[in-house]
Amino acid sequence: MKIAAKGVESSAKQANPTAVLTWGFHKSGKRAMSTRILGIESSCDETAAAIVADGRDILSSVVASQLDIHRKYGGVVPELASREHLRQIVPVVREALAQAGLSFADIDAIGVTRGPGLVGALLVGVTYGKVLAMELGKPLVPVNHLEGHIHAVFLEAHLAGRAPELPAVCLIVSGGHTLLYHVRAGSGNGDVSAHGFLYRRLGGTRDDAAGEAYDKVARLLALGYPGGPVIDQLAAQAAAAGSGAGAKDGLNFGPVKIKGNTFDFSFSGIKTAVLYYVRAHPEFGPEMEARRTALQEGRRRAADLFPLCSPQTLLLVSNFQTAVVHDLVTRTFAAATETGARTILVSGGVAANSELRDRFMTKSGPMGVNVFFPSRALSTDNAAMIAAAAYPHLLAGDLASSDLNAEPNLRLA
Amino acid sequence: MRVSEFVSHSSEETIAKGREIAAGLHPPVMVMLSGELGSGKTTLTKGIISGLGAAPEEDVTSPTFTLVHVFHNHCKVYHVDLYRVENFQDLESLGLEDALGEEAVVIIEWSERFSYRTDWPRVEIRLEHAGGDSRRIAISGLSLENRL
Repeated sequence: MKIAAKGVESSAKQANPTAVLTWGFHKSGKRAMSTRILGIESSCDETAAAIVADGRDILSSVVASQLDIHRKYGGVVPELASREHLRQIVPVVREALAQAGLSFADIDAIGVTRGPGLVGALLVGVTYGKVLAMELGKPLVPVNHLEGHIHAVFLEAHLAGRAPELPAVCLIVSGGHTLLYHVRAGSGNGDVSAHGFLYRRLGGTRDDAAGEAYDKVARLLALGYPGGPVIDQLAAQAAAAGSGAGAKDGLNFGPVKIKGNTFDFSFSGIKTAVLYYVRAHPEFGPEMEARRTALQEGRRRAADLFPLCSPQTLLLVSNFQTAVVHDLVTRTFAAATETGARTILVSGGVAANSELRDRFMTKSGPMGVNVFFPSRALSTDNAAMIAAAAYPHLLAGDLASSDLNAEPNLRLA
Repeated sequence: MRVSEFVSHSSEETIAKGREIAAGLHPPVMVMLSGELGSGKTTLTKGIISGLGAAPEEDVTSPTFTLVHVFHNHCKVYHVDLYRVENFQDLESLGLEDALGEEAVVIIEWSERFSYRTDWPRVEIRLEHAGGDSRRIAISGLSLENRL
């Protein structure tokens, strides 16, 4: 591997050893007539580049994660993210071309994320994309990051030889977003990857994003950053070991009450309930101190932290996760029922959560709804989804003008 | 400096209080919010920003992940969250100089971590848990003096 990026190598060593640099690489889509788009993504803490043919065949996808850089801050630090994107973008794009066996001359267009995200981070991709497009004389397509997440589900389905039926309800759930959209096919015939989608916003979080609630609860309980994977794994291990059963009393989260639009979400109350519970139980103190020490020593895997969690703590994180997952699943199915959609698409970093996947799948049969998820690599930020989302816009002629700018608060609908 | 105290019994009351506060805000002004996790800082901000006419309350969400949200309608409002900011370098990285260089309302959650010196007029609001859904809200610095 040529990229001299610490982030790339170290993140490859974590949970998903094969996913980072090599998945989805195949040359079957390299047909003479195909349209190849170079996708570029830099909205948050992943620098990514990918080449996708005809909006659906992934020729290469490279992601350089900055997780190790941001971990000690308990979240993404904008200035550090921008600096790291600057360092990574050129090698990551080169690697994407090399993996696809292509040169710049073989690329038909460039798709770049213009928002939403961190302004400084977005600017790196947008500026690079503009300069590259100008230099190569190729069209530049501005892409909404959220639309990319929706296309990620279709990319995965295509890999499995499936095609989600539209209209669908799409839940985008990550550290920065918790949104529900109604998705229907845009006008035109043929493959959905070519004519794109039309969106209607059904709801979104009123306070914290689901992934943000995980991060805050993990911080409260000294479980490290990011909170999602570690809480998911602790809950799974607790269930497997029958732990938590020895706990004296649990914290039972009631259903989240939402006044007005019932497709909105709120996770702030769940977070506050955890805070109250921890404060009311000073006996959590010593084990939290032990976990802080472990984290400082770099022992941050769930397997390291599991022995340092009392049954009470395991029950707390399990109940927290169940409450968050239950709310996400219930509202998404309710939205599908109300809109008559028979397909649910789930995307974004939290879509990798195992309990979330299980609950969606368990409920899909009885509800008569098909649920589609991307793989873990396509759930989290990547550029293949950006290249795929750019394709229908390229065909429709929605190209960037020379004054294209980053749009940190960009909306999808 | 006058301190007024108020006890809110629900998030609706907190939002209504935010709207009331908004009526007394005239840019440039900084609104410094302090209080721990879940004490209602973002909820109060929903009231302030919707009261200023900068965005509907449902569009005001926690900026913890991206650290700064900007609203442009009617008047310019920066909604900043310093929850994850640990030191001056982190604070500097947010690029708040831009916000402080224009006529805006700058609302800062976890303002105890704000260590810039500015001569901007400021309103200090402290929120505390007061059992159940109740929150104690103490406001100082909002008076006729910053309208003169």
